[in-house]
Amino acid sequence: MRPPRLASRLLARAFRGDPAAPAILGDLNEDFVRVLETRGRMAARLWYWREALGLASGRVAHGLAHALRSFLRPGSLGEDAVHAARTLRRSPGFALFVGAVIGLGVAAVTTVYSVLKPLALALPFEDAHQLVWISNSEAAGDSSLSAVTSRTVNLIDFRAGTRSFSGITGYDAFFASRFYTLAGAGEPESLVGVGVAHDFLDVLGVRPLHGRSFTAEEGQRGGPAAVILSHRLWRDRFASDRTVVGRGVTLNGTPRTVVGVLPASFDFSSVFSPGVEVDFLLPFVVSRDNAFQGNVLALIGRLRPGVTPEAAQSELTTLNAALGETDPERWGLGAELETLQDHLAGPFRGSLLLLAAAAGVLLLVVCVNVSGLMIARSPSRAREMAVRKALGAPRGRLMRQLVLETLGISLIGAAVGSLLAWLATRVVTNAAMIHIPLMDSVELDTSALLVAAGVAVLTGVVVGTIPALQVAEGGEAGVLQAASRGSSASRGARRLREGLVFAEVALACALLVVGGLLLASFRAVLDVDLGFEPANTVAWQLQPGTPFESYGEKMAFYTRLGGRVRAAPGVESTGLIDGLPLGRNRAWGFQVVGLAEGEDTDEQVFPHVVDPGYLPTMEIPLLAGRNFSPADVEGSTPVVILNQTGARRIFGGEEEALGRRLAFWGPWEWEVVGIARDVRHLSPETGSGIEVYFPHAQMPDYGPMDLVVRSRLPSSQVVATVSGVLEDVDPGMPRHEFWSLESTVAGAVSDRRFALGILSAFGFAALLLAALGIYGVLSQTVAEREPEIGIRMALGASGPDIVRRVLGRMLLLTAGGIAAGWALSLLFSDVLDAVLFGVAPVDPRAFLGTGVVLLAVAALASGLPARRAVSTEASSVLKSP
Amino acid sequence: MSRLGEFEFLVLLAVLRQKEAPYANHVREDLEANAGRRVTRGALYRTIDRLVEKGFLAWELEPSEVPERGGHPMRRLLVTEEGLEAARETRTVLVTFLDGLGPVLGET
Repeated sequence: MRPPRLASRLLARAFRGDPAAPAILGDLNEDFVRVLETRGRMAARLWYWREALGLASGRVAHGLAHALRSFLRPGSLGEDAVHAARTLRRSPGFALFVGAVIGLGVAAVTTVYSVLKPLALALPFEDAHQLVWISNSEAAGDSSLSAVTSRTVNLIDFRAGTRSFSGITGYDAFFASRFYTLAGAGEPESLVGVGVAHDFLDVLGVRPLHGRSFTAEEGQRGGPAAVILSHRLWRDRFASDRTVVGRGVTLNGTPRTVVGVLPASFDFSSVFSPGVEVDFLLPFVVSRDNAFQGNVLALIGRLRPGVTPEAAQSELTTLNAALGETDPERWGLGAELETLQDHLAGPFRGSLLLLAAAAGVLLLVVCVNVSGLMIARSPSRAREMAVRKALGAPRGRLMRQLVLETLGISLIGAAVGSLLAWLATRVVTNAAMIHIPLMDSVELDTSALLVAAGVAVLTGVVVGTIPALQVAEGGEAGVLQAASRGSSASRGARRLREGLVFAEVALACALLVVGGLLLASFRAVLDVDLGFEPANTVAWQLQPGTPFESYGEKMAFYTRLGGRVRAAPGVESTGLIDGLPLGRNRAWGFQVVGLAEGEDTDEQVFPHVVDPGYLPTMEIPLLAGRNFSPADVEGSTPVVILNQTGARRIFGGEEEALGRRLAFWGPWEWEVVGIARDVRHLSPETGSGIEVYFPHAQMPDYGPMDLVVRSRLPSSQVVATVSGVLEDVDPGMPRHEFWSLESTVAGAVSDRRFALGILSAFGFAALLLAALGIYGVLSQTVAEREPEIGIRMALGASGPDIVRRVLGRMLLLTAGGIAAGWALSLLFSDVLDAVLFGVAPVDPRAFLGTGVVLLAVAALASGLPARRAVSTEASSVLKSP
Repeated sequence: MSRLGEFEFLVLLAVLRQKEAPYANHVREDLEANAGRRVTRGALYRTIDRLVEKGFLAWELEPSEVPERGGHPMRRLLVTEEGLEAARETRTVLVTFLDGLGPVLGET
């Protein structure tokens, strides 16, 4: 009866290099037999395992403590550092290359950290954890803006009736559709301003750079007309002039006093409205007068210190119940709290998580790759170490030197990584097309640099110390040394290297699969039928220079303008709408005329005010009924066009809807005269809700219009022509606010493009590293097997035979790695499910495509070593010593 | 006791007591049976290593015919001259300090 083989092997390994090891094994054996005789087989085996584990772990702990002690012994640390630096200088190519590879991983992690930090970790506000977003209702799944906003009356009542908050404030959530013209020197400029409650900046904890925030008086109806400039507007338009505070400016004809300038650290649009630049803040009147409008305010509260969101939530819920009891008619009473952080980051959580995971995987690829490089170098280092050891250098010193070398390489890695991360973050902040909150705040700050250095050192220590230990111990190194001579011991070393390649291929495969899925998803979004044709269009934001005296004047202005533009050369058609798709969001309630009380739905519609040219210009087809005509004017029967979803959901079909009537606010009943195809107004991924088009000749409630022009001419030509016409029609109107609908579509998919871009870069880097790994291992294998190959050739093996032999194993290894990578990427499927659109997380195209790419790359990387193998001269190999 | 810890001293003495067969297993059995303490294998081996480092103990491997050892050699432990010297010193220190303490320690 022998002791458990695995346990004794473990023991032998732990005591490797100790000359007393055989005696220790013998001692244990002897006692094992005694225990076996007295207590039986099972007990003896257990006893042996316990003893072996105790001995082995004690031995390892002792060895580590010893190594650490000698490593930390001050003595000649400086000398060792100099020696390490000299060694690195002796092979600068290796040091730089490994440093660059580490830098790649460091850059990935640091960039992703920098991108995630403002959004996921630290909002740029004082005590940001106290800030909460107060939605109007449990808007699960409802993406319309009205569901996350609240009524002004709610703000007044919440302020008065709660004790959990040190402040509750709000801003006009529909500001993006209100434009201002700043009059003064130079070209008239169209600007965007946001109405905010007077205490908005105080609640957020933002202090103006110059001047002050709004006073309570300025927030009253009829209070002093004030404005706070954004840092950008102040810099660009007012040349960073401090004395602008206190001066007057004219906005849409109203004189206002500049009372403050926002600091550069607070960019309203970057936090609350990525993609819509905000130029200034205005006081929003919060009073009982305007309290009963719809859900126009986005509410933000600051919790008192120590108050949890749950406590505040329950206070608000109780308050709302009481308010609802007092006034049973009151609508829009709801309050759903979430932290501001969750509100802002929520929609992007999936993508961010995915990016973080991908950066981690890339870092792993880097670690594996660097391990491979270090191990490939160990045979030569082992010889050097053996010589130095023989000359009397203590093991601790040798290890210390190796670790110092690794640290040196890590520092190169940290430097390269920081540089790459700096470049990457610059690209991210300058990409104006990314509509993700706080992307402007992305910067490579001290904490990011610390992360970079930490990751580099950790990587270096993890991948560098283990080979260093082996080299210093003379353990594994012995095997590797033998490998370099091509002896039979090389099998273990080759397995180790092949294992690393396998891991690299698997990790790279997982990254590529995820990248492929994102690509497929991105294409699926681009392929979505938006319901309109964005190509060959240019749009203008129309901001008439002088306010209209009457509705009739407004009508006449837009009609005249439309006619003039339509007549311009090259213009095929024009349309007007109060908010082009993928830019605006609002909702109205409605009733179906003729339905009894209680039969109404709670559904809301998305209203659009258009002219008769809009639907044809956007190429939105009519499925039934007719388009608006010039005859639909004030005084004639009010008419609307309903979209397909609306017709089906409200009336059960397109034909059924025609001729029916709807009522919105106001006394009018609107007859449905046409059914238009659905348009994705909110985002390419969001299906259409119920949409209603009103003719601008009958619906007075619209703000500035967007003009859309369809033309086959190059857009520069269209812009020149139309700008000329606009100037002619109204010289006071800004004409430089134009864009193509294609760019709007691009903006709507920008967060996908962003995630895809980063992941593609990661995937590509991983692929490159995997190729490098395959190449390295194969070169080494071919070099080792040269004698064998030479003999085979001498015995008549053909070139293709040899290639098959050399390549076969590598391709098998790659195939195994691919399979493992597929399994690995399945782990991502939950996160992916939330991010992907129109593609399943197990889409076979992404999986197979990745496999093919990896196999092809493996074959390419193997090409050179394989050729070298074929050109092996049998005679020269056999002659060599 | 300046050069020898208490356990080291015990191990050294135990090696000397084995006379014919000074092997680690016997040393351990002796300590467990007569010093009234439980000795883990790891602690004993580490102490042996430490005594070897200090130059108080040496050892040599000798082939063993004992079937229970499964062909593994035995390690014969030898107390060096320096080891003997250190043991003597420790004894002197102990005797000096015990002198006159008989009544206190309840010696009859």
